[in-house]
Amino acid sequence: MGRRQFLTTAAAGAAIAFARPARLLAGDAAPSDSISVALLGVGAQGRVLMEDTLKIPGIRFVAVCDIWDYNRQYGQRYLRKFGHSVRAYHDFGDMLEKEKDLQAVIVATPDFWHAPHAIGCMKAGKHVYCEKMMSNTIEGARSMVRAMRETGRLLQIGHQRRSNPRYLVALNDLLGKANLLGRITTANGQWNRAVSADLGWPARAAIPADTLKRYGYEDMHQFRNWRWFKKCGGGPLSDLGAHQIDILNWFLGGPPVSVMAAGGNDYYTNHEWFDNAMVLFEYRLPTGTARASYQVATTTSAGGYFEQFMGVEGTLKISENPKYTSILREANAPDWEPWVRLHYLQPWEAPALAPTDSDDAVADARETAELATYGLPVVLRKPVHQPHLENFFNAVRGKGKLNCPADEAFHSEIAIFKACEAVYARKQIQIAPEETIA
Amino acid sequence: MSSNETSQTCDPGATWAFLTLRLWLGARALLSGIEKFSEKVTIEQPLRDATGAPDPSGAVVEIQQKVYGLSHYHAIPEALTTKLLQEPLLPQSLTTAFLGSLGYTLIVLGAMLLLGICTRCALGLMGILYTLLMAGLLLIHQEDGVAWLGIHAGLIAFALALSRHNRFALTRKC
Repeated sequence: MGRRQFLTTAAAGAAIAFARPARLLAGDAAPSDSISVALLGVGAQGRVLMEDTLKIPGIRFVAVCDIWDYNRQYGQRYLRKFGHSVRAYHDFGDMLEKEKDLQAVIVATPDFWHAPHAIGCMKAGKHVYCEKMMSNTIEGARSMVRAMRETGRLLQIGHQRRSNPRYLVALNDLLGKANLLGRITTANGQWNRAVSADLGWPARAAIPADTLKRYGYEDMHQFRNWRWFKKCGGGPLSDLGAHQIDILNWFLGGPPVSVMAAGGNDYYTNHEWFDNAMVLFEYRLPTGTARASYQVATTTSAGGYFEQFMGVEGTLKISENPKYTSILREANAPDWEPWVRLHYLQPWEAPALAPTDSDDAVADARETAELATYGLPVVLRKPVHQPHLENFFNAVRGKGKLNCPADEAFHSEIAIFKACEAVYARKQIQIAPEETIA
Repeated sequence: MSSNETSQTCDPGATWAFLTLRLWLGARALLSGIEKFSEKVTIEQPLRDATGAPDPSGAVVEIQQKVYGLSHYHAIPEALTTKLLQEPLLPQSLTTAFLGSLGYTLIVLGAMLLLGICTRCALGLMGILYTLLMAGLLLIHQEDGVAWLGIHAGLIAFALALSRHNRFALTRKC
């Protein structure tokens, strides 16, 4: 390497090393400054995010935007109760044009609007917290990542488990530092939800048909139940599965290399997307291959929702709901006592076993002895979305990095889109590495 | 003092037998009484690594800790207290007073036996106390507890029978 080439390379390296990664950290608000925020989409999820954002100091709502008067008025009145005097907008373009001081936007609209809304906001110079899924199409999700890079704005995707201290300790400490599970060979997850009726609406509050058409909906039923329609949302693997498939990818270090799946419209007759699905992912880890199964059921709820990682030395079963969380130690695993003493683990007292019919009843000779069970004593005394929102607003203030920037979330998008594709293709689909890069 | 009595009180085997009973019953009563002032409480503290540094996630852990104090007093488990207070043959005011003083009484009687203060008197009072407890447990059908107290009553009776061999005591009277 010649001197000139060396200097050029060194200068480029220094530039990379010292350049602020805009997608992770903004810093355009002083730490003490309040951040002006708009809520785009005041439906069920928007209201959850609004409620949790109100608990964060230094956040000032200035606007709400929704095409439905009913939602818009709700948001405006609710925020007024908490001292936030907000302007209400029907159209997000109108809002961006008029709200010049707006710094960040929380996007909680239906999936097919995420890309236009998030990209529009970023191009207007706003940082964006966008609910998952990123989009209802791969290209939509990819365009969001591109816009994030081009504008240098922050784009946090609402996989809120990534900011949950229970998940952070499980990944960084139990699986990372302590390597309690050893080599992970198997993982699984599920979200089982009971049958529920489609969402309705007050007749007097129906949106005019021409407005619905203008915003991409066939009718009021589709507007209220957009999650079940292919042009609007991604079905249950996207709505429920996205969170957990994201955890599979996050904990296993990247997206899967293949997927096969089965599913169908087993119960509901008026939905486009399948009700239930079972998916098998294959991952290539540095330690070898791992396979993960995932089940989503919207017709039965027993067992709840969790993600489980099974290694040769232990198993971690974790859920946003602490009651589904446990850590099991294989008999051949190294001593876990040091981690118990440091309170990373908490021994569980085993419940008394039910008496057997016969005293001489024995387990199958091939069955492994019962495993020692531990709990995860980490507690989260906040609503589950709050830490992820805090992480976003901290990044806007330049005080931290995003826990789920769009380019990382894209890995999960690909896995979910491919899983949906596999349900209909009824065959194994390979996921090429280049497909996972936005 | 007759020669017969002298030979009995100087019997080292009987002396040690009584001392064993006195210490066992005293320690049992004292610790049972103290435990009635204990409770397992849940506290929250930052998760720290082996060097004592807080976890980067800012995680807070919930840990169970056993604490002692007057405010943690509970005579018997809540479920048994409720049953006793609902028992028609037990006057509620007396039951409440009995349960309210049980822990203190056990500590005092236990300490008296361990130190050898009015040993016979302490044993007698302990016998009455366990008999009262037995009556309450019998009425609410806690047969295991009744049997357990029966063993204690036998030990107290045996101790009283051997009490003339009392040694290493602060007071010799009563």
